[in-house]
Amino acid sequence: MNNKYMNTGILKKNITLVIGISIPILMIIFVAISIYLPGFFVSPKFNFLYVSGDDYYYYDQYQYSVQNGELMKNEIKKPENRSYEPIKEVKLYVHDVAKNKSREITFEEARSLNLDSNVKSPDGFEIAYGSHSGSFLFSGGSDYGVRYLTGNNISKKLDLQLAGSSYYNNFRFIGWIK
Amino acid sequence: MANKDEVLKYVRTVAEQNTVTRAELIEAYDSASGIKGDVVLTKKLGVAEILYYIGGAVVFLGIMILIGQNWSTLGVVAKIMATLGSGIAAYVVGVLFNKDVRTEVAGSAFFLISALVMPIGLWVVFDEAGFDANSFGMQTFISGLLLAVFLLSYHVFKKNIFTLFGIIFATWMFFSITSFIVGGAPHFNDWKFYMYRILAVGVSYMLIGYSFSKTARVSLCWFLYGFGVLGFLGAALALGEWKPNQNVFWELIYPGLVFGALFISVHIKSNAFLTWGTIFLMAYILKITWEYFSTGLGWPLALVIAGLAMIGAGYMSFSLKKKYLSV
Repeated sequence: MNNKYMNTGILKKNITLVIGISIPILMIIFVAISIYLPGFFVSPKFNFLYVSGDDYYYYDQYQYSVQNGELMKNEIKKPENRSYEPIKEVKLYVHDVAKNKSREITFEEARSLNLDSNVKSPDGFEIAYGSHSGSFLFSGGSDYGVRYLTGNNISKKLDLQLAGSSYYNNFRFIGWIK
Repeated sequence: MANKDEVLKYVRTVAEQNTVTRAELIEAYDSASGIKGDVVLTKKLGVAEILYYIGGAVVFLGIMILIGQNWSTLGVVAKIMATLGSGIAAYVVGVLFNKDVRTEVAGSAFFLISALVMPIGLWVVFDEAGFDANSFGMQTFISGLLLAVFLLSYHVFKKNIFTLFGIIFATWMFFSITSFIVGGAPHFNDWKFYMYRILAVGVSYMLIGYSFSKTARVSLCWFLYGFGVLGFLGAALALGEWKPNQNVFWELIYPGLVFGALFISVHIKSNAFLTWGTIFLMAYILKITWEYFSTGLGWPLALVIAGLAMIGAGYMSFSLKKKYLSV
């Protein structure tokens, strides 16, 4: 009983100290909740198609585009009097957002997909670069080696299969699969 | 609740009956007062003490330059010995000096060296061990380890230098752990998040400083008030942003925050609140003038008005200091 009164007395006497220490602790809890909690209730639904392997777009043989929801492949014409690096093979992938896994598909398979080439998916997600760790107080800017599926107050790190390096040019979003 | 005479009478009775010892009574009193045997510097630092601390900082600089110049030639063991080894050696010297009253303050200078060198030493150890010592996860671990060491040291030695560095390491841990939780998530990791964290740390520092002002740790108030009010008012001003992306909430509430700081400066007799409150009031006047009045009134006239307002703020600050803060 006496201990209880003593503790209450100490608490009352040091109330500003207790509040001062509690503020950062509560903020840590708040940040953790706002990062992890929305992920339990919201999940992205639309898989997407992307192309990888074209580190240097300049040397590509084909250019992919979406027309009327269908994937199109256009050959890039090069001047005949100039020599180029060997043409690199580019690959098409479908990323399953539920499993966070990519699988390679052929152009013919990709042509059968109904695509939406908008940056934002119908359920409000888009692909963005991650952020560098930075140091102590300051953000380090964009991390071009990591991509996230972000929107609706959540961000999910994408485990993408890439052909070649993970350089930022080595990923081109084509469209959301409807 | 019993009055003072009744309490003292009761104490005499239990003392006669030998049910409570003198040591137990003192312990109970000290634990409730919260300043148990603090051996801290409550007086102002003298020239000798300041030289001790400057000497400590110079030793730290010397160690860093020595290591920096020879980094590529030093082996793993030499790197660890030069950093963490120096930190631990300085800590041990501090403990030994602390035992004698004549060398106690010099001991604090060695604790200072230890506090400055140990983080670098731990960084080197984990970096050499193959961990990514720059990652926020690792920084959280290093700062947490240092916080534990310095809190434990405070518990044993009751010196303000451990409280000061405990607060600094706790702040480092707070920033690291929140950045670690957020990771690289692009929807969260913008500069506003940093500003809100600085705002929270600022409030925390001011409150801790206020609680210390009534204890033997009063000598830490200048640090806590100074950085607390600087962080709080600076972050709040930054959150107001700039036209056309201004945040109306922060721009409207800001005068209230600045005048609140000036009011508190009188209440708690703090030069830090008065100085930073005045500086940020002037910064706010300039910001608002530039954003909203430079085009309508014309920049020269707006400057004249801003200058007059700043003179008014300066005069108010001078008057408050003379009337309420001068001893």
